[in-house]
Amino acid sequence: MLPLEYLQTTMARSVLAMEQVVAANMLTAGKADPLARLRIYQNNTRSSLTAALMAVFPVTVRLVDERFFRFAASEFIRRHPPVESRLARYGAGFPRFLKTIDTLSDMPIVAETARLEWAIAEALDTASLPSRSLAEYDNTDLGLSPDIQLQPSLRLIVSHWSILSVWMAHQQEKAVDENITWARRPERVALWRSGNYVRLFLLDRASFAFWHSLKHGFGLEHATGRALALDPAFDLVSALVRLFRDRLVTDVRVASNFPSN
Amino acid sequence: MSSMFSPLAIPASAGIGLRSPHIAEMLTRRPSAGWLEVHAENYMGDGAGVEALERLRQIYPLSVHGVGLSLGSAQGLDRGHLERLRMVCERFQPDLVSEHLAWSVADGAYLNDLLPLRYDEEALAIVARNVETVQETLNRQVLIENLSAYVAFADSSMSEAEFLAELVVRTGCGLLLDVNNVQVSAHNLQYDAKAFIDALPAEAIGEIHLAGHATNHVGADTVLIDDHGSRVPPVVWALYQHAVDRFGPRPTLIEWDTDVPILDVLLGEAMWADMLTASIMFNRKQAMRREQTTKTRATPILSVQSGTTTGMPVLAAFAAARCAKPCMSAALVSIEEEYHAAA
Repeated sequence: MLPLEYLQTTMARSVLAMEQVVAANMLTAGKADPLARLRIYQNNTRSSLTAALMAVFPVTVRLVDERFFRFAASEFIRRHPPVESRLARYGAGFPRFLKTIDTLSDMPIVAETARLEWAIAEALDTASLPSRSLAEYDNTDLGLSPDIQLQPSLRLIVSHWSILSVWMAHQQEKAVDENITWARRPERVALWRSGNYVRLFLLDRASFAFWHSLKHGFGLEHATGRALALDPAFDLVSALVRLFRDRLVTDVRVASNFPSN
Repeated sequence: MSSMFSPLAIPASAGIGLRSPHIAEMLTRRPSAGWLEVHAENYMGDGAGVEALERLRQIYPLSVHGVGLSLGSAQGLDRGHLERLRMVCERFQPDLVSEHLAWSVADGAYLNDLLPLRYDEEALAIVARNVETVQETLNRQVLIENLSAYVAFADSSMSEAEFLAELVVRTGCGLLLDVNNVQVSAHNLQYDAKAFIDALPAEAIGEIHLAGHATNHVGADTVLIDDHGSRVPPVVWALYQHAVDRFGPRPTLIEWDTDVPILDVLLGEAMWADMLTASIMFNRKQAMRREQTTKTRATPILSVQSGTTTGMPVLAAFAAARCAKPCMSAALVSIEEEYHAAA
């Protein structure tokens, strides 16, 4: 008799259809064919994980059509099954996997849009902390370069393709023109969770660098320097007001040690 | 965080599985639902659903039902996942915590399905060790649920019910009896569903699950699929009646996971479970009363039974009307006679 661990490994490989290694005489199913019954587990695994991916990547589904998406998802599941039972964490590698599919090689925007959708899924599963107002710091000496903490759900994505335009076009019920050619145009997207929803914005290069530096804890002085290097007309006051107005600031502290990289 | 909720005990009545399409309505309408159950894995992050559940937990008693711990994994428990389950329990302070007698992790992969065990001494030792680890980590008893299965292992040396009974003895865990799972497995693997229920230790049953299943025909094989996608079918209600007859009222959950209907459908199913339970208990009391009346008929002393203030829902009222019918007709005859006499 096989040790249980070996038996489970064998069965798991059969369920993921990597190899049909479970022998029929190991199983019983009343009067039914046990190997036919084993296919129910294969179908359950594939269909439930495909459904999980379709829920995370709805625009990607529409870009490639559902049948192709199911095929791609099925291959992804077979090669990269989840390693843990939190399905909210499953799909991080799917955009990269899409890049490896030959059929999609002339449609790089598909994988890029999937990257945006994964960032949205991550933001939706991240805490939304109470935001702070500028007035709260009226009587506080924050030093020369305070460290501004932003919402942990903030995600910043830069793409060579117009991913936010694609995503926005697919938020409407009506069908998107299939013949539309999505432009190769760099877009810098900021998104974060606000209640049950995600807010998405396009940023210019300087603002993107400013937000990126703050998000990674480099402090206000460094962030401002990066933004000004890209755009000498960068307006720091407007940028700060916007951060507070959008409820992105969760804390302002006297700067200590910034990360070295 | 841990002191933010007052304890709310889950009653021995029906509750519903909380599903995301219903959260907003639950928050605004606050319908009468005995209690709520959630899948632990859906609340291990920090999304809006977590905030909503914190608000609902102020109002409703809560049960946390794990689906991903893989208690039957020979390679042992995922300590990271167990820690996340502990955090969920600390955050929401549920009255009940449950998991499955199944495995879903092997060879480094999570299959997102609940697979059956080979029921033998080796598996029992592994599951018992894993259940003990969970109970020590959570510092509480957990309920273990029987599985819906499509295959069994030829080399099993005991039945699933025997396995569960022995698991209770070894670990002190409780049991979650999923009546739909019993029906699905009993049909698919061809055993007696009622005998399965009868083989479980009554005192260990801490919760019951009810759900619908699909019937698929594949060639000559008719297989029941545990899809939780429809109303509880009559065959499962009948089995539930058998379980309540044997175990008495227990916290009973209406599960619905695919093609989730409007909230009122779930609440209606829960109400039906409550009515059925009340009807069974009412009939039982009536039977006891009749028995007592027979015993005391010899003596002309009227006995008033205490503790009979249970509310009588519709089903129970029908049952009572049926029982009371002969006496009622007798009373009507006597009134008619009096009328004619006066005329």
